[in-house]
Amino acid sequence: SVQAHKEEDNPQKTMEVNGLTPVPHSYDYDLIVIGGGSGGLAAAKEAAKYEKKVMVLDFVTPTPQGSSWGLGGTCVNVGCIPKKLMHQAALLGQALQDSRKFGWQFTEEVKHSWMTMTESVQNYIGSLNWGYRVALRDKKVTYENAYGEFVGPHTIKATNKKGVEKLYTAERFIIATGERPRYLGIPGDKEYCLSSDDLFSLPYCPGKTLVVGASYVALECAGFLAGLGLDVTVMVRSILLRGFDQDMANRIGEYMEEHGVNFIRGFVPIKVEQVEEGTPGVLKVTAKSTTGDQMIEGEYNTVLLAIGRDPCTRKIGLDKVGVNINEKTGKIPVNDEEQTNVPYIYAIGDILQDKLELTPVAIQAGRLLVHRLYAGATTKCDYVNVPTTVFTPLEYGACGYSEETAVEKFGEANIEVYHSHFWPLEWTVPSRDNNKCYAKIICNIQDNERVIGFHVLGPNAGEVTQGFAAAIKCGLTKEQLDNTVGIHPVCAEV
Amino acid sequence: QVRGYSEFVRTAQSYHGRPIFALFCGDKDAEGKSWCPDCVTAEPIVRKELHNLPDESVFIYCLVGDRAYWKDPNNEFRRNLKLTGVPTLLKYGTPQKLVEEECFKAELVRMLFTED
Repeated sequence: SVQAHKEEDNPQKTMEVNGLTPVPHSYDYDLIVIGGGSGGLAAAKEAAKYEKKVMVLDFVTPTPQGSSWGLGGTCVNVGCIPKKLMHQAALLGQALQDSRKFGWQFTEEVKHSWMTMTESVQNYIGSLNWGYRVALRDKKVTYENAYGEFVGPHTIKATNKKGVEKLYTAERFIIATGERPRYLGIPGDKEYCLSSDDLFSLPYCPGKTLVVGASYVALECAGFLAGLGLDVTVMVRSILLRGFDQDMANRIGEYMEEHGVNFIRGFVPIKVEQVEEGTPGVLKVTAKSTTGDQMIEGEYNTVLLAIGRDPCTRKIGLDKVGVNINEKTGKIPVNDEEQTNVPYIYAIGDILQDKLELTPVAIQAGRLLVHRLYAGATTKCDYVNVPTTVFTPLEYGACGYSEETAVEKFGEANIEVYHSHFWPLEWTVPSRDNNKCYAKIICNIQDNERVIGFHVLGPNAGEVTQGFAAAIKCGLTKEQLDNTVGIHPVCAEV
Repeated sequence: QVRGYSEFVRTAQSYHGRPIFALFCGDKDAEGKSWCPDCVTAEPIVRKELHNLPDESVFIYCLVGDRAYWKDPNNEFRRNLKLTGVPTLLKYGTPQKLVEEECFKAELVRMLFTED
């Protein structure tokens, strides 16, 4: 990558590296960012600070159901933001129940309006979309609502929703096109099923819902739908939350099951048929066991597919410029400076191979990349010890190694796990579970009992985890943790 | 041109079905000067862009009230229209708005008027 950078500095060399058609020395833009999501916008705004001429292309191909959205990417429109708001809506429902034990008196039965919630959420998202457009315009970043694809060296074609095509050239490109939900590839999936791309703007209450998948998307959605009072079933092919600490994953599943979410384990849908039209209608799902020939059927108002997400890298002309992708997954391999195999083309965010699919990671990578390109910085994005939170009904915050991965890497004899159940004080009065909240830390015995894994299952897990992530980055050891006096009475003191 | 919350709402409702843009400013004194200095700056800039308004749209210039009324955190504009400052230029019924210094920028005003 050092070599590539040297070539980058010499425009003469750039032409030789490309070798194909001669390219202009003067480009329309210094930087074109393909994708206006978390990573793309962060990079574009940062580049504008260095007075670079920047363009952002953002385009949302509508879902099979026709859903679309504005500038801001997945997180803002159909990810983190609406998800957390709806999770909060569900938590408030629980809080209303708890409140009676704390003395609040109301006689009416508490009901939930999907339409009121969705309208408020979409309104907020609309203000974010607008805010991004104002920010880009204010910083003189050109934004086009158009689909960008490479057509030749240093050249992309932008097609807007009316089909009008324009060509643009740039010295450098950042690909930040993100991902979209995967479909099952079975009869009826695209015609009748929804994905997370549709759920958060659904103009009617989804009703009795089957969630297919065991990803955090599946469990978070199933969790808040159930919390809003809907009849929810989760159909899982094998394990929950692949890639996460499995003990924690099972605790999450157990909690959801004990709190009204039905689970069907070891089955995959093989067809979806419409029984009744409507908003919602009635769908019949036929599923086959993964271990035998058993078939089951069920009827639901809504089927939500959450079986994975695929990178938007197959139809953006990467072959025209020679950017390598992993043919099987669609992900783009990059070096530790987010550079693809083509020196002037970079990539950030969810589309990267072997990197974390998180908004803050994409933002950080985008900003640091721009600093290196235009401000002579050398800091690279640190993908180690990135904290995350899963917003299932019982929230799960984690930073560092899962227990399985720690055992695999360091050996069971070399790690020590300290753990504890706890009962949040706020749960005592309303008699909520006293044995479900749980925390553990995994320590490396050979390195001063350095804390290499932090896991907490309980309310406000994200808020709790953030501070510990900073401590872990500073090399927190068990001894230092023991010497830190707790705040009382809070969950984090455990 | 309207003054006060009720008059604003009545007027907006009467144009239901058409795109409505509204500029909210502090009251003007006998000499025609507003108590709100940012409004004094913004008004000519906004007016200069009015020719960019889409066909069929309506532009409402609304005086919100005197300084004391505006400072009250419970006034109707804050409560019902969620206004946080004056001047505010907005596209009624959408989350699209420009607040305070944003109204000084002709580029942004034009974007609000001409883009979706």
